[in-house]
Amino acid sequence: MAGTTAPHATLIDTTTLVFRRASAGGTAFELRVAPLALARGASLAVRGPSGSGKSTLLALLSGELLPFEGGVRTQGRSLSSMSDAERRAYRATCVGQVFQTFELVASLDVLENVLLPFRLHGALSLDDAARVRARELLGRVGLADKSRRSIDQLSHGERQRVAIARALVTRPSLVLADEPTGNLDPALKRDIAALLIDEARAADAALVVATHDESILGSFDGVLAIGGDA
Amino acid sequence: MTALLCHAAFLAVASLRHSWRRSLLLALVLGLSLGVPLALASLLERASTDMRARAAVAPLVLGAKGSESDLVFGALFFAATPPRGLLMQDLARIEGDGLGQAVPFALGATAQKTPVVGTAIDNFDRRGLRPATGTMFATIGECVAGSDAARALGLAPGSRLYTDPASLSDLAGVFPLELTVTGVLPPTGTPDDGVLFVDLRTMWSIRGLGHRHDDPAASASPGALIGQDGERKIAGEALPIERKATDGIAADFHFHGDPSTFPIDAALVYPADAKAQAILLGRFTGKDETLQLARPDQFIERVLERIFGVGRVLGAVAVATAALVLLVAALAFALSIRLRADELALMRRLGASRGRVAVFLATEAAILLCAALAITVACAIAAPLLAPLVMRLAAG
Repeated sequence: MAGTTAPHATLIDTTTLVFRRASAGGTAFELRVAPLALARGASLAVRGPSGSGKSTLLALLSGELLPFEGGVRTQGRSLSSMSDAERRAYRATCVGQVFQTFELVASLDVLENVLLPFRLHGALSLDDAARVRARELLGRVGLADKSRRSIDQLSHGERQRVAIARALVTRPSLVLADEPTGNLDPALKRDIAALLIDEARAADAALVVATHDESILGSFDGVLAIGGDA
Repeated sequence: MTALLCHAAFLAVASLRHSWRRSLLLALVLGLSLGVPLALASLLERASTDMRARAAVAPLVLGAKGSESDLVFGALFFAATPPRGLLMQDLARIEGDGLGQAVPFALGATAQKTPVVGTAIDNFDRRGLRPATGTMFATIGECVAGSDAARALGLAPGSRLYTDPASLSDLAGVFPLELTVTGVLPPTGTPDDGVLFVDLRTMWSIRGLGHRHDDPAASASPGALIGQDGERKIAGEALPIERKATDGIAADFHFHGDPSTFPIDAALVYPADAKAQAILLGRFTGKDETLQLARPDQFIERVLERIFGVGRVLGAVAVATAALVLLVAALAFALSIRLRADELALMRRLGASRGRVAVFLATEAAILLCAALAITVACAIAAPLLAPLVMRLAAG
């Protein structure tokens, strides 16, 4: 089974996933992904060319999209059987996400960007423990002294570190990163990839990274190729 | 729910502060567009109340024929110069046959740019007005300050100040005279608060009709005595004229001429009864009449009608503008939400519900509206302070 990693008990597993939508050109886009299973602490790289469906797969794993065929199961429950509210709660509490364009909020400083997930869902409580965790994570990604800086004052590499800290702050069991090194210069790519893997592993979270960057693939426990390279 | 509102308020304040220029502009535009119509209405209401109350001080105002507006605004509001030509002896036409009482006023002088108003003690007796501190003026050179005037000039009983000199080109004009403050009136919320009241004789002295000087024969100034006709000494231009009435020399002031022919500017007339009022009104309507008797209440109503006419047009324009501004502000806010589409989408992707995002945006809009309303309320509160300005504008 391509990309299957299982050093611990399975955290998330899928049957063959099929997702379709009309593309901009009017031709139908179809993503077909073979079954996969992920355990806590495991890391998986999803490689493929642009438009191959890497981001769509991450959205299926986070419950943001539902497959046309097949299903995603986590902790014994199918995401498709959950209500919208349950899927939002799952996304808020169990999934940490890192985006290619960082997706940080310009009006919040570094620390408040890391704490943002706690303000977005009632299942998370923004208490002292959360603040301690956020500061600890900022320390781990090398931004302890910049916690009150504006996002505008950070470099690209620093912004991506903030995004990684935000993805981990809620102690998620699954971290999804979409092209996390896409906007970075080559020197930073390895650093960021290593940081993401190390921090996810330290948090005992499963990590799925969508990338088309061949240079970082060797860092992951497994690689899943989709689209043209599949 | 409390936690949600706290988070919403935190994010809203952060967002508004981050784009503070846009936030401030929106709040200002919204606040002023709502505040201006409100302020206009509030201002006109206050001005009309003040003007009606002031007009009720005296049923009639006597003055020389000419502008009724100058007469009423001059006599009651000290905001205009009444037509010249009224003399002290004209008051006899009111009081001579017991039809009423006339309280004279003489205007036109200032002290440190504050109007000085010459009048009789009857003016204060009529309205039960007594100094809050000190005593009423009693002789030449003494004055009683209105509360605002006293505060602005730092006056208290015992303070001294000079009246302002007339311009050099005004040869027959006002002469500086030193005044001593004997009392300060309590605040009345009327034009009385902003003036200095003096006795008519003081005003005549300011105008040069009364003065004090040494005996020309005993004066050390060369040319002070230019001739003598028996007992009568003829003073020359070199005789120094004393401009102080203080230090116990007020009694030395004297007037040349018959005081009944001395000028005054207006008189507030209190008819004995309705019949006396009707008779008095008829008395000053002749074709060759040189005086006029105005009814302040009717005059003020005509003025207010004119002001409210203009106010209604301005109000309608302001309301239409406010509606337009509200629409534009709503569009601007909607546009700013579109510009933040990525930020809002991020919140959704991280698990926020549509309702939660809506609460965030609504909180931001509410804070903005609160700021705008604060500006609106400030406008409405501040507007009545401009009521005296409306009165001055109405006085022309």
